[in-house]
Amino acid sequence: MRILIVEDDLEAAEVMDRGLTEAGHECVRAPDGEDGLAASRAGEYDVMIVDRMMPRMDGVTMIQTIRREGDQTPVLFLSALGEINDRVEGLKAGGDDYLVKPYAFAELIARVEALSRRRETGSVQTMLRVGELEMDLIGRAVHRQGKEIDLQPREFQLLEFMMRHAGQSVTRTMLLEKVWEYHFDPQTNVIDVHISRLRSKIDKGFDKPMLQTVRGAGYRLDP
Amino acid sequence: MRLPRLFRTTPFRLTLLFLALFAAAASAFLAYIYLATAGEATRRTDQNITREMRSLVAAYDRAGVDAVNQSLIERAASERPFLYLLMKPDGTRISGSIAESPLEDVRGAPSRASFSVTDYDAQGRLVKHPARGFQERLSGGEILFVGADVSEDQAYVVKIVRALWGAGALVIVLGLAGGLLVSRNVSRSMGALNDVVAAVRNGDFGARATVRGTRDEFDELSEGVNEMLDRLERSMAGHRHAGDAIAHDLRSPLTRLRARLETAYLDVEAGKGNAEEALGQALDDTDGVLKTFGAVLSIARLQAAGQAPDQVLFDPADLAADLAELYEPTCEDKGLEFDAELTRDLQVRGNREFLAQALANLLDNAVKYTPAGGAIMLRVRRRSSGEVEYSITDTGPGVPDEDRARVVERFVRLENSRSEPGSGLGLSLVAAVAEAHGGRLELSEGPGKVGEMGPGLRVALILPRPA
Repeated sequence: MRILIVEDDLEAAEVMDRGLTEAGHECVRAPDGEDGLAASRAGEYDVMIVDRMMPRMDGVTMIQTIRREGDQTPVLFLSALGEINDRVEGLKAGGDDYLVKPYAFAELIARVEALSRRRETGSVQTMLRVGELEMDLIGRAVHRQGKEIDLQPREFQLLEFMMRHAGQSVTRTMLLEKVWEYHFDPQTNVIDVHISRLRSKIDKGFDKPMLQTVRGAGYRLDP
Repeated sequence: MRLPRLFRTTPFRLTLLFLALFAAAASAFLAYIYLATAGEATRRTDQNITREMRSLVAAYDRAGVDAVNQSLIERAASERPFLYLLMKPDGTRISGSIAESPLEDVRGAPSRASFSVTDYDAQGRLVKHPARGFQERLSGGEILFVGADVSEDQAYVVKIVRALWGAGALVIVLGLAGGLLVSRNVSRSMGALNDVVAAVRNGDFGARATVRGTRDEFDELSEGVNEMLDRLERSMAGHRHAGDAIAHDLRSPLTRLRARLETAYLDVEAGKGNAEEALGQALDDTDGVLKTFGAVLSIARLQAAGQAPDQVLFDPADLAADLAELYEPTCEDKGLEFDAELTRDLQVRGNREFLAQALANLLDNAVKYTPAGGAIMLRVRRRSSGEVEYSITDTGPGVPDEDRARVVERFVRLENSRSEPGSGLGLSLVAAVAEAHGGRLELSEGPGKVGEMGPGLRVALILPRPA
């Protein structure tokens, strides 16, 4: 993927660049909103990572501008621990996701990759397929190797999210945000327990486990 | 020259202003009384004189000048309070009780006037009496004068005027005295409050205003100031404590982190392969530090905002059901019985994210501290007061009575819970969330001791009835 990093903290941008490049992405960096705007106009990107607070032009203004110009590139806002309703404001301004600094790098990569995937699956799907796993979104049914798997509604949503992001790491925070739609930070392993229940339903009795635990990041559904 | 302090106070200035207004009103009132009484006396005298004149003129018309003369002589001899004078057309006296007409133009009758007559008092001194009189030319050309001594009426009016002056002076003196008294009282109360403000400004946060128990606005102001200072003091103590506690709580993980990194560095230098594990641990430690930091910041922001942002009306049971669904598998995994009792169709106003975080913290605690085989109950109900209560009851070891107020404070962790992971900020954040919704947090004993279990803890997050 081509990723535009708009960040005035040059060291942080450097670290991001390195990590994303190692993960196989191509990065372009801009040190403030105006340069970011120019770079976004000049090139095509799959995802933009934009810091909110920057000199010359802040991230919100930059994104509002590119959205007005019709650029729909997915945007991940980065923000220092700031005001309570930063997230809402950022999303209102045209951001697609929001990450508060300091963050774990695994979280950043997972969210960036989830954003790029989001754009690819633009058309309405009625059927999801990942390896042996089939999900019928209309009939609300899941099969593996043709064998029906009985899921609770929340487990179904959880699996749907994992299948839509198959092959990518998804973090616990992302799952809580996207599946349960809450933005808080549980101290107990509530998400892990839900995943392990789901895992026991889709992997138990099959020779190859599909739902993987990614150390330091979260989970990944492999085909 | 600087005026004494009392004369510079607002109440005293107000007193002067009101006194001036009052004096003006009183003057107008007194003037009216004077006109009404003095005018009335003059009119009554004139009426009496006119009546006397009519009767004499009637006698003249009936029986001629001799009859009037006769009548005058009789009347002058009687005790009637009138003065009479009958004159020839040229103004020379025929008869009467006075020597000559006091009116200047004798022939210009009819006319009336005020004048004075001289007399001798009981001690033989010459005195002047005020009088009023008319004269009329009779049909035969003679002139008749009738007057009356008004000294008594005049004396009455003078008395009234004197009384009015006295009353005016009394009003001013009493008003001034009352004003001074009130201003002194008010400025003393204000002075006391000013002293408190000055003391606080100089850094004495323990200074408090005296509440006299009179339930007046000064008491209200004093109570308000005291309450404000209480909150300020608590919040400052909280900040100071939080500062110390952050330093304390962050120091150990940061020290550990540094040691791990140093070990890893040395290991790598020595060509040993333990670096990966040390770095993984270092990352975990960093995450712990950041979590603590995040919680401290959330609390500080909520407290600074005073009011949780983005509040919406919603059914409290929906939120509780979401959290029940989220936590139920965790409870089951730990061998805890989990039950939710949710009253539907209530309404509450709040920020869903913060309330979710608060309930999650309470459920986290319950899961953490309740041993396997125990039970956790999540409940939503309406109190009889109309408030909405979320409560979480567990059968864990509970919190002793004397520690319940303390565990809500930042970073307070009871001795036997230090081994558990956590920042010690969970309940403080819940309390901050409750406060930012105008609600409160209540801790009480759970279901009591049953065998190895209990006595348990019941934590209630109480939110006000939506307006």
